[in-house]
Amino acid sequence: MTTATASVNGTAWSRVLQLTLVPLVLVVVWQLWGMFLASDERTPVPSRVITTFFDLVANGGLIGALLQSLTRVVVGFAISLVAGTTLGLLMGSYPALRDSLDPIIEAFRPLAPMAILPIVLLWFGTGTPAATAIVTYAAFFPLLVNTVHGVSRVDRKLVQAASTMGVPRPSVLMRVVLPAALPSILLGARLSMGIAWTAIIAAELGVGAKSGGGTSGGIGQMMFVFYSYSIDLNAIVVCMIVVGVVALLIDRLFRIAERRLMPWRQ
Amino acid sequence: MNTATAMPKLRLTNVLKQFVAPRTGQLTTAVTDVNLDIETGEFVCVVGPSGCGKSTVMNLVAGLDTPTSGTIEADGKPVTAPGADRGVMFQDYALMPWMSVYDNIGFGLNYGTPGKGFTKEQRDERVRHFVDLVGLKGSEKKYPHQLSGGMRQRVALARLLANGPDILLMDEPLGALDAQTRLILQVELLRIWGETALQKERKTAIFITHDIEEAVFLADRVVVMSTHPGRVKAVIPVDLPRPRTEHTRALPRFGQLGEQIWNLIRDEAYRAIDDTGDKPVAAASVKQ
Repeated sequence: MTTATASVNGTAWSRVLQLTLVPLVLVVVWQLWGMFLASDERTPVPSRVITTFFDLVANGGLIGALLQSLTRVVVGFAISLVAGTTLGLLMGSYPALRDSLDPIIEAFRPLAPMAILPIVLLWFGTGTPAATAIVTYAAFFPLLVNTVHGVSRVDRKLVQAASTMGVPRPSVLMRVVLPAALPSILLGARLSMGIAWTAIIAAELGVGAKSGGGTSGGIGQMMFVFYSYSIDLNAIVVCMIVVGVVALLIDRLFRIAERRLMPWRQ
Repeated sequence: MNTATAMPKLRLTNVLKQFVAPRTGQLTTAVTDVNLDIETGEFVCVVGPSGCGKSTVMNLVAGLDTPTSGTIEADGKPVTAPGADRGVMFQDYALMPWMSVYDNIGFGLNYGTPGKGFTKEQRDERVRHFVDLVGLKGSEKKYPHQLSGGMRQRVALARLLANGPDILLMDEPLGALDAQTRLILQVELLRIWGETALQKERKTAIFITHDIEEAVFLADRVVVMSTHPGRVKAVIPVDLPRPRTEHTRALPRFGQLGEQIWNLIRDEAYRAIDDTGDKPVAAASVKQ
C-alpha cells in the first residue's frame, strides 16, 4: 500500500478510490446502456432507481418496512444467541449431552429455513411471530455449531489451571470456557446474523405470497408487492440494493465488535 | 513409618499409574512403585529422561489425575481432586489471554483461598504485593500477549503464590526461556520462595526439570527417576549452603552432585536418542 511518507490525505483518498472505483464504473456503464440500448421506459436505470429511492423513502414507507424487518431479525437473533450459546456451552462441556443431542441437531441443520415455512405459517400465522420464528431457526445452527466447536478448542490447560486455583465448576464454565470460546462464538454470531438477514427477506417474500400481499410487512414483503402487483422494476431494484447494503453494514458492524470485544487477539 | 516424626507434608505410597489405550485396550505403565515422603518447606526437584513419568507424578499430586493404585496424601488427607492447597505452575504458564496481569494474578482469590475470606481491599493489597514481589510493578494492566516470556513466567509465578497454596507444583516452569534468563530467574525463584510468607513457614515445592544443574541449584533433595517403566531410581540430598547464589555454581560440590546425578541418568538418556540401544561413538557428554 502507500509508503509511510505519503500524506494522510493521500492515503485516505486512495483508499476511497479503491472502494468506489469499480462500483462507479459499473453504475456508469449501466446508465449508458439504459439510455442508449434499452427499449422500454420502465427499464431500471440508475437515474430512475435513484428517484424511485427517494420517492419510496418519502411516500412509500421504505424506512418503516426496513425497520420492521430489522426488528424481526434482531429479536430472532437474540433468542438464538441465548439458546445457541447456552446449549453450545453445555454440549461442548458434557460429551454425554452432546452425543445424545447430536443426531437430532444434525438431522435438522441441513433443513433450509424456507423448508419449514409451511409449518411455521400453520403454527404462527402470517405476521411477525412467523417471520421471527424463521429467523430464530435460521440463526440457531451456525451459533450452536460454532459454540460447540469453540468450546472443544479451549486449551485444557486453562481449565486445569482454574481448577487448581479452587475455582468451582460453574464458574470455570462462565469465567474461563466462555471467554476462551469467544472467538468462535463471535464468528458464529456474525455468520448467524448474515444468514438471519437473508432468511427474513426470503421469509417475508414467502409470507407475502401466502397472504396475498397483505399484512406481514417488512422489506421482503414490499419486494413481493412490487413484483406481483405494481410490477415496478425500479422499486424492486431499490429494495435489492437496500437489502445488500444492510447486509454489508451488519457484517462490518460485527467485525468491529469482534475487534473490540477481543483486544487480545492480533 | 516412624510415628515420632511429624507427618510429612506429602506422602506417596506405592503409587502406580497405568493408561489404557482407548481403541486397543493396551495398558501402558506410566509410573510404578513410587514411594516418596516430602517434608513441609522442602524444595524437591524431580529429574529424569523423557518419558520417566515426571509430569504424570505431578498431575497425580495436583489431583488432575488419579492413581491406578496406591495413595497420595497431603497433610494426611487423600488427594482425589485439584484444589487450591496444591497450586500448579504449568510449562506454558496457562495464563488467561483475555485477562490483564492484575486480573490473572487475582483470579483465584475471587473464590476464596483456603481458609481465608478476603475483602475487596485485602484482595487488592494481596495482588499488588505479589505483583511487586515478582518485579512486575507498572505492568498490571498489560495483557499476556504484550509480555515477554520472562514476564509471563513471573505472572504465572505470582498467580501461583497469590492463591496461597501450601504445596507448589511446578512443571518445567523455566523451560521456555533462554539460558541466560533462566539463570537469573532461578535465583529470583529461590528469593521469592524464601520470601513468599505473609506467613512464617516456607512453602513446600516440587519442581520438575530436564536440567540437572538447575535441579541441583534449586533443591534440598533431587528425586532421580528412570524410565521403562517410570519409577524413582534414587533420591539425592543436596548439601549445598543456602542462600544459593551465582557462586554456588562454582563450588566443587556442585559439580560432584551434577555428575552423580548424570551418572544415574546417562545410559537412559543415550538410549532415548538412539533407538537401537548402541552408544554413540563420540564420548562427548550430552547435556539433556
